[in-house]
Amino acid sequence: MALRRWFLAVPAVLLVALLQAYFWVPTYDQQSAGNPKRLLKYIEASAADAKILNPILNADTVSSGITDYVFEGLLGADQDLRLRGRLATDWAITEQAYLIVRPDKRLPDGTPVSAAELKKRILDARDRGGRSGLKGLLLAIDVLHPETRAETVVTPPAEGKPAEIRVKVRVPERLRFSLSRVDQDFFSRLEPILGSGYLDGFPYERHVDAEEPGARAHLHLVELLPLAEHNPVILFQLRRGVRFHDGTEVTARDVKFTYDAIMNPKNLSPRVSDFEPIKSIEIPDPHSVKITYKRLHSPAINAWTMGILPQHLLSEEALNAETENLSAAARAAFGMREARFNRHPIGSGPFKFVEWRDVEFIHLERNDDYWEGRPELEDYYLRIIPDPLTQEVEFRTGAVDYYGAMPHQVARYLKDDSYQSFSSLALSYSYIGYNLRKPLFADPRVRRALGMAIDVDDIIRYLLYGEGERTTGPFPKETPWYDPAVRPLPYDPAAAVRLLEEAGWRKNKEGLLEKDGTIFEFNLITNSGNPARKNIITIAQNAWKRIGIECNTQYFEWAVFLEDFVDKGAFDAVVLGWTTPPLDPDLYQIFHSSQSGPKQLNFVAYNNPEADRLIIRIRQEYDPERQRALAHRLHRIIYEDQPYNFLYTPRTTRVLDKKIVIVERDAKDQERYVKIYPTKGGTISYYFNKWRKLAFTPEF
Amino acid sequence: MWAYILRNVWQRLILLVFVSILAHSVVHLAPGEPSEVDPSNPRMKPEDIARIRAAFHLDDPLYLQYIYWLRDLASGDLKSFKDSQPVLPKIGQRLLNSLPLFLLTTLIVWGLSFPTGIHAAVHRDSPFDRSMTFLSYTLISIPGFFLSYLVILGVVDTLDVPVIGMSTFGMDEAVPVFQWMDRLWHLTIPALMSAVMGIAILSRYVRSQMLEVIGQDYVRTARAKGLTEDVVIYRHALRNALLPFVTMFGFLVPSLISGSVIFEQIFAWPGIGRLGYEAVLARDFPVILTLNFITAVLTLIGTFVADILYLFADPRIQIE
Repeated sequence: MALRRWFLAVPAVLLVALLQAYFWVPTYDQQSAGNPKRLLKYIEASAADAKILNPILNADTVSSGITDYVFEGLLGADQDLRLRGRLATDWAITEQAYLIVRPDKRLPDGTPVSAAELKKRILDARDRGGRSGLKGLLLAIDVLHPETRAETVVTPPAEGKPAEIRVKVRVPERLRFSLSRVDQDFFSRLEPILGSGYLDGFPYERHVDAEEPGARAHLHLVELLPLAEHNPVILFQLRRGVRFHDGTEVTARDVKFTYDAIMNPKNLSPRVSDFEPIKSIEIPDPHSVKITYKRLHSPAINAWTMGILPQHLLSEEALNAETENLSAAARAAFGMREARFNRHPIGSGPFKFVEWRDVEFIHLERNDDYWEGRPELEDYYLRIIPDPLTQEVEFRTGAVDYYGAMPHQVARYLKDDSYQSFSSLALSYSYIGYNLRKPLFADPRVRRALGMAIDVDDIIRYLLYGEGERTTGPFPKETPWYDPAVRPLPYDPAAAVRLLEEAGWRKNKEGLLEKDGTIFEFNLITNSGNPARKNIITIAQNAWKRIGIECNTQYFEWAVFLEDFVDKGAFDAVVLGWTTPPLDPDLYQIFHSSQSGPKQLNFVAYNNPEADRLIIRIRQEYDPERQRALAHRLHRIIYEDQPYNFLYTPRTTRVLDKKIVIVERDAKDQERYVKIYPTKGGTISYYFNKWRKLAFTPEF
Repeated sequence: MWAYILRNVWQRLILLVFVSILAHSVVHLAPGEPSEVDPSNPRMKPEDIARIRAAFHLDDPLYLQYIYWLRDLASGDLKSFKDSQPVLPKIGQRLLNSLPLFLLTTLIVWGLSFPTGIHAAVHRDSPFDRSMTFLSYTLISIPGFFLSYLVILGVVDTLDVPVIGMSTFGMDEAVPVFQWMDRLWHLTIPALMSAVMGIAILSRYVRSQMLEVIGQDYVRTARAKGLTEDVVIYRHALRNALLPFVTMFGFLVPSLISGSVIFEQIFAWPGIGRLGYEAVLARDFPVILTLNFITAVLTLIGTFVADILYLFADPRIQIE
């Protein structure tokens, strides 16, 4: 009977047809079988998809990873995490300082203050040289005539409704100083000439009028009319002949446009705070950009590592062309966020955008016109693979060249010869933070003793499988701001007990530490869902118990942990970690005493006037050497105070197909293969443009 | 006949409106906010959130939101919250990705269930029947995702070839034959894995249907007429046993959208099920609602077609 035979034949043929396909599929070792182009493609796995491929709008690491390839910034970080020129060949940092002439004051010798007199005396002091330090610093002084400025100020919505206040600022006569470098002490240098009280007690309210009476109370008058003002100026020289992927040259107009786009409130750029300190951008010629800042803020220069947008593709006219078919309401709301550009970006970086398929992949191809020479690899793919196991499976079969392995997966690769793995210090650290509002932790000796009672080396050995290093302060270990001379607290429970005895704690009959009738007891908490922190809590509890301290431990769900305990400052001690930025030693948010209010990041309420002063000086210092010296002092002070017991910095491990190498060319254009190695800060992709995939596994 | 069809279509349209209203309320009443306006996102300022909420009409009354959704869906202006892309082309693309997997799975399920089910029924209580029963219940009890992971690990470890995704990545410039075979291979494992449960269940149905029919008088009559066993089984018995599967066919259509969530997730298949899953996680209301709407439409079409098919397949059914 035919039907019966069909019933058997159809499924059998179907299964055979399906399974024979196996013999055509490439394996890990034979990735180029039937597919020679595979060697020119580099495939990376990512758990998440990108969101928006616009360097000024994205806020997630995946999107910014892609825009880093497609776009080029004015500056970039080099292998030692110092700034190097990308679109900019050169940048000079100078300063313009302003000082209001105060006829109400008298100079130290009793002469009334006038602009001409001040100018003469200051120039004389410069020419005399000596201790004032103005020589070589002060280039010129101009006298600026009084003017009246009309401004609209938007008050922050925290004080009731956000309101627009129209104000009139009567700016009196001022002196403008052109300085050869940024000097945060410039006005202190002038103090012997001006007299000691010159910079105090300026009657701001006499110079600012608000249109509505009473509104003036809401204004920050010092910001509207500073008595003494520092305006750092950066003059960028742009590289000539760099072109966007569509062939248009990158000019200073694009830089200014990028800044304007960030500051345009309609675009809702998450980078506004990085660029807010900018006062103005001028374009002296198409290849230079002059950026003037409102105040001293040295981290601001790092913001220029951000990619530069092409003005001709995103200007008002370009956007208007996209809205033609939209309704009027949609057209009014249309901004850069809605632009097609965000899914088809065009930049000037080493790779050109080709295609983005949702939750599948993003495809880039090399930019043959790249100013630094075209990359070795032809194609870059970012594959979206949410599941870590799937990532591993694809990696082991050669369908992915790189992924971030989990610690337990790392162990497997370290033994396996077919892969190369890299281990480097992460830009983060773990710590135990003490709530310094509590009298229990007020004494630094107590915090030091608590730290000395914990064997951190044991934590690293058993908790991290050795994948970590001790750290002693708030800066990333790989950066120049970290002072390696600061040694970690020793593990010494006996010395810890002695320190506690000095602080007045004595062991009672039950063996618990006691002072004035109360025993040493507190709660140590952390968030749930982090196995390392959970284990640290237990280890600390146990270690402290041995020296007679009662410690109770608890975990909370992340949102609860933050809202109910950390934000309110309602905790004794916490185990937490910080991720630290690699380019910028600014600790203002985490350790400055002004940042210890509710929901602010100095939730342990660390308060040391000297540390505060250093934190401010560091963010106002533009000289890297001096910044480093200040950072080392700050590191030492924070270490001495131990607001945190700094525990460790973990290592991160990445695995890569072993057939990928760096290609170096010597003077005779001879090629040489070099094993890939991580640079400072732990990136392995610093030489990405020189990567090549070989058909065989090289031996080094 | 035509009056029946028209009335049937009309009833289904009304049902569709009710389903969409119900789905709309349920989705909006469920806890959670679209991830774009999540207040715990530290990057978002309250005024930005307020602006986005206004743009998404999130603060309007529910019935207005429903009308906006319906209007945008009809005009094709409907955009995803997540990436501001038009919803319909997005769904269309994903549907195309899911289609081959769905078709092959269906083919495997129906192609393998009938022979095994019939054979088991005809040779009732034979060692084949018993081992099939055992196997079916085993496969029904093992969660599909677990079995899939085991198979993936086994294939990767022993055969060293990729199994995830719609094709081996980076094959687009390979020799065409290698490309086709590679795609076929990538289709094979997920289709087999998502067919496993279907085969286990459907072959049980086929077996019990056949057993029921084989006991009927007309089968005995056919045998008494001296027809060969094959003719009795495959012509007389099987035809009648097939009737209930017409209904199943009707429910098969909507499973194109809902049936593949788990396997698309495991095999990183960029299909419609995964789109829906991700939309739910991100509270991407326009995508969720539209998918829901399409599922409802497909269900209604499927059952409608099944109703019509019955008219032809079963002569006992007449339109009143």
